Amino acid sequence: MLMTFFKALATLLFLVAAACAVTSPARADAIDDALGHFAQDKFPETDKGIDSLSGSGAPTAAAVMDALANNRLLFDPGSKQIFYKDASDTLFDAKTGAKAEGVDASTLKKVRLNNAVRSKLQSVGGSMALLAPDPTKRLDAANAVFRSHDANQLAPVETALAKENDAAVKAALLQARAAILATKPDATADQRLDAIQVLKLRGDQDAQGLLTPLATVAPDDASMDKVRTAAKAALSAISMQLAIWQAVQNVWYGVSLGSVLLLAAIGLAITFGVMGIINMAHGEMVMIGAYTTFVVQQVIRTSMPGLFDASLIIAVPLAFLVSGAVGIAIERLVIRHLYGRPLETLLATWGISLILQQAVRTTFGANNKEVGAPSFMSGSFHLGGLEITSGRMWIIAFTICVFVALQLVLRATPFGLRMRAVTQNRRMASAMGISTGRIDALAFGLGSGIAGIAGVALSQIDNVSPNLGQSYIIDSFMVVVFGGVGNLWGTLVAALALGIANKFLEPLAGAVLAKIAVLVFIILFIQKRPRGLFALKGRSVEA
Amino acid sequence: MIAQTVLGKRGSIFLALCIAAAILVPVLTLKVAPNSALYMPPYVVALLGKYLCYALLALALDLVWGYCGILSLGHGAFFALGGYAMGMYLMRQIGARGTYANPDLPDFMVFLNWHSLPFTWWGFSSFFYACLMVVLVPGALAALFGWFAFRSRVTGVYLSIITQALTYALLLAFFRNDMGFGGNNGLTDFKDILGFNIQSDATRAALFSTSAIALALGYIVAAAVVTSKFGKVIVAIRDAESRTRFLGYRVEYYKLLVFTLSAAMAGVAGALYVPQVGIINPGEFAPANSIEAVIWVAVGGRGTLVGAALGAILVNFGKTYFTGAFPEYWLFGLGGLFVIVTLFLPKGILGLIDRMTARRKPQPPAEMPIAPEEQIAIPEGGR
Amino acid sequence: MTKDALTNSLLYLNDVKVSFDGYKALRGLSLVLAKGEMRAIIGPNGAGKTTMMDCITGKTRPDEGDVYFGGSTDLTKLDEADIAELGIGRKFQKPTVFENHTVEDNILLALKAPRSAFATLFGKAAADQRVRIDAILKTIRLTDHRLRPAADLSHGQKQWLEIGMLLAQDPKLLLVDEPVAGMTDAETATTAELLREIARDHSVVVVEHDMHFVRELGVKVTVLHEGAVLAEGSLDAVSADPRVIEVYLGR
Repeated sequence: MLMTFFKALATLLFLVAAACAVTSPARADAIDDALGHFAQDKFPETDKGIDSLSGSGAPTAAAVMDALANNRLLFDPGSKQIFYKDASDTLFDAKTGAKAEGVDASTLKKVRLNNAVRSKLQSVGGSMALLAPDPTKRLDAANAVFRSHDANQLAPVETALAKENDAAVKAALLQARAAILATKPDATADQRLDAIQVLKLRGDQDAQGLLTPLATVAPDDASMDKVRTAAKAALSAISMQLAIWQAVQNVWYGVSLGSVLLLAAIGLAITFGVMGIINMAHGEMVMIGAYTTFVVQQVIRTSMPGLFDASLIIAVPLAFLVSGAVGIAIERLVIRHLYGRPLETLLATWGISLILQQAVRTTFGANNKEVGAPSFMSGSFHLGGLEITSGRMWIIAFTICVFVALQLVLRATPFGLRMRAVTQNRRMASAMGISTGRIDALAFGLGSGIAGIAGVALSQIDNVSPNLGQSYIIDSFMVVVFGGVGNLWGTLVAALALGIANKFLEPLAGAVLAKIAVLVFIILFIQKRPRGLFALKGRSVEA
Repeated sequence: MIAQTVLGKRGSIFLALCIAAAILVPVLTLKVAPNSALYMPPYVVALLGKYLCYALLALALDLVWGYCGILSLGHGAFFALGGYAMGMYLMRQIGARGTYANPDLPDFMVFLNWHSLPFTWWGFSSFFYACLMVVLVPGALAALFGWFAFRSRVTGVYLSIITQALTYALLLAFFRNDMGFGGNNGLTDFKDILGFNIQSDATRAALFSTSAIALALGYIVAAAVVTSKFGKVIVAIRDAESRTRFLGYRVEYYKLLVFTLSAAMAGVAGALYVPQVGIINPGEFAPANSIEAVIWVAVGGRGTLVGAALGAILVNFGKTYFTGAFPEYWLFGLGGLFVIVTLFLPKGILGLIDRMTARRKPQPPAEMPIAPEEQIAIPEGGR
Repeated sequence: MTKDALTNSLLYLNDVKVSFDGYKALRGLSLVLAKGEMRAIIGPNGAGKTTMMDCITGKTRPDEGDVYFGGSTDLTKLDEADIAELGIGRKFQKPTVFENHTVEDNILLALKAPRSAFATLFGKAAADQRVRIDAILKTIRLTDHRLRPAADLSHGQKQWLEIGMLLAQDPKLLLVDEPVAGMTDAETATTAELLREIARDHSVVVVEHDMHFVRELGVKVTVLHEGAVLAEGSLDAVSADPRVIEVYLGR
């Protein structure tokens, strides 16, 4: 394991170093001298050879060292000439870098390696890369030194620091130097104190690892007393910082889960919260939205693959229409006859959910469907100590858009006005000429359509199967009831609160227990405040 | 005379049928030669026994929903808890005959590297203790849950939703291995019950008869409850809860009592179910199971005890038939049943029969009719 | 109001305030009812009549103010069942009877008897209960309908049945909310007679819109407006009050 790691690291450093080697003028005699060492085939000589080759600026230096690290550096025992092979077994002259024609490879001997040579190779490769012209390569090299904190790299790092102009690379170099000084056995107390300050600023787990030994130096060493105190202080500062980042990360996960809950519940906030219809087939509206996404992607894959990245954007309006239409059909055919009988509505819509599940299972099969992610939704990035996956970020952004759009529809359109009128006073609204039946159907269609849109987003993070909806129905009801019916903001707060609470409980109790704890909490909460967090108060709601 | 007022004509017939089945089925399976047309194969006995357990569950559910208006979507949880209590007794009876031949621990505990029996399992070697737990555990959970829910006046769909959340939470909990109830796999591979081989035809016949008698007893208890003044009060609560309150009745205690009684009945049903099907696993807590039980009651006719039991047997017979003959279409059928019954048969099959007989004789039916509209606080309120 | 007023009263409301989400349903309502008194309460919609009833019967807790029964019992600390047991009966605006029970069973459920769940589960009906039920059915003129489900009764009959249920409770105080709404003139007259009969040995508070009916009752009248008492006195006196005319009678 360790060997492979060293090898890989060395290879990497050489590839980086290759670029830098090209820039320095080569001195032919120096190259000869360096290569001469390799031909001795003795470890100390090889060691010297590495040193002089790295100083020679030979154009082939990087390739030679790479070959050496991978057991592909060869010499002719007779002529003492040096050759190397590349990964594809082609033989090159080590001095000129030209293809070696007419040499019998079978007469050549390998330059042998031991661990001392390997670590030498690694450090030399690193110091060469520290001076590479490309700043990103210098940065990589500096970070590599930080990780290895090899004392031999101190001088190259100092050299590089003196020349460095790029702020980011300079900071990395300073950290690399600090890492070396923190671990170097003969570093002075002052050097260590400096190093501690730099590492404290870095403030991650690597810094913690480097500082921990310093905080536990033997107590009899008087000169190190200050170092120990400083290291301890730095360590506690870092663990504090890490704890904060961990909390922020948990909040982020919580917001992410909350946005999923909100997406699943927001359609229900309309149908159940505002209209008072208990729709157990709500989850199936989500499921239909997810299947719409699947169909859209299938069509795009087969007929216009170029549009794949836009597949979700195309699926959103389609999912809204499909789920919305199914919703309107359900309202007109069944629910309409059951107004004022919530328990019967519950049972009938449960029946509908079974039918819809089976219909999808019969049409598409029972197994999970693959819904791909567009390129902009894959990958992740860091923000400070926070890791953010693009998919989740887009889902949060999408949720916000849906929420805002829904609020606008309800508050700023004539339809929203009529809908609120009907839900508040059906008879009065009807007397004023509002067609209440039509509004009911459209409002239910709106709630269902939004569930369909949620399905587009959820297809990205969940298995698209006929059972998709089932897994969301209880959570959705919990969110709406917890938030308080008839209140979209309550739904928002409830979804986020439950999401965050879940993610903070998970590290303490495990995912399943966290979920149970949240469920039990809501069950108890409803006892305390039967109308939810933001309940409407008053006589009318009691009747 | 008492039988007349408490049971009614329909109830008496139902009881007679239960007792007849309890006697006849063992005869048909044990005494009749296998080549005879009257012979009942053991698998049919087990199947019918299962239906009777479901019927008892339906009876329990009808008591709270049909008579008190509490739509519990979590009665499957009480059924499963009763089943687990019985399953734990059966596990302890396996003794050293398990795969790991450990005399002190069930196989799954050995597999999990446990060294001693968790306290939840103490006492389950005793049949008597297990029977006590079959009633006490579901009853205590129902009492605790109801004490919170009814005192704070959670009603209607809110109550339904939190009962569903309750069974869902239990489902998740029982899936965990650390709970010590066999996790995902549940409890199975039972050998003996009270020293009798659980697989033998005679034991199966005895279990069937026990189920039939339990159903009959359950029916008598339920009928006694609903015909007492207590029964009149719970119907009053169903129809006009706040009126009942203003008359001075403590609605929450009435609900609590009927809910707890019903949960205990469901527990008994579960306990009889487990030895007949040979397994209990967390799947029994699935919210879908509880809702399915509601539809049995609705199909038969809620608010009529006989109807509830009848509905359970009919729907499950249909399920057995359809899942065998047209597995693809069973969910369509079940889903359709929910829709059709709520839309067209609000009083279920018995309601339909009553309506047809009432057309011939104008007297109102003996059984309790259903309120045309339940009084439930719906979210948007309004008066 | 003095301490004396409290101890001699049957019902005592002082400066009661209730608000729902900022809407002030009651803003400092004060009212005293003497033992044995019958009182009519009138007021336009939204005057706080029903909220007042809710405060007395424990359905709504006042934000501020005192509600005392019998001079010493603080009603704000009790719930509906407690208050009903104390002897306050309430008739709702909409007739609320148990539709699926027979007329007789409706009265039986209301009859003064142990209310605990266990008592009703195992208790036996006493013979004297029969006698009481017969008497009440006679009073409310429903003897012939005793075995019919309440759902089959006419609107007026349901109102009477509900009043009968109140009588069966044998309360010290009856709260009656719009008993004649939707009744025919003949039914209204019968109802007034019924209430006067009841008032002979009970204290009664009647909330009503119907001026003829209030006149027929011939009792002291309290006018509510915007959650507080506007005027109090005989019907003739309050009818002459210019403020009352402005907010209520003048329209």
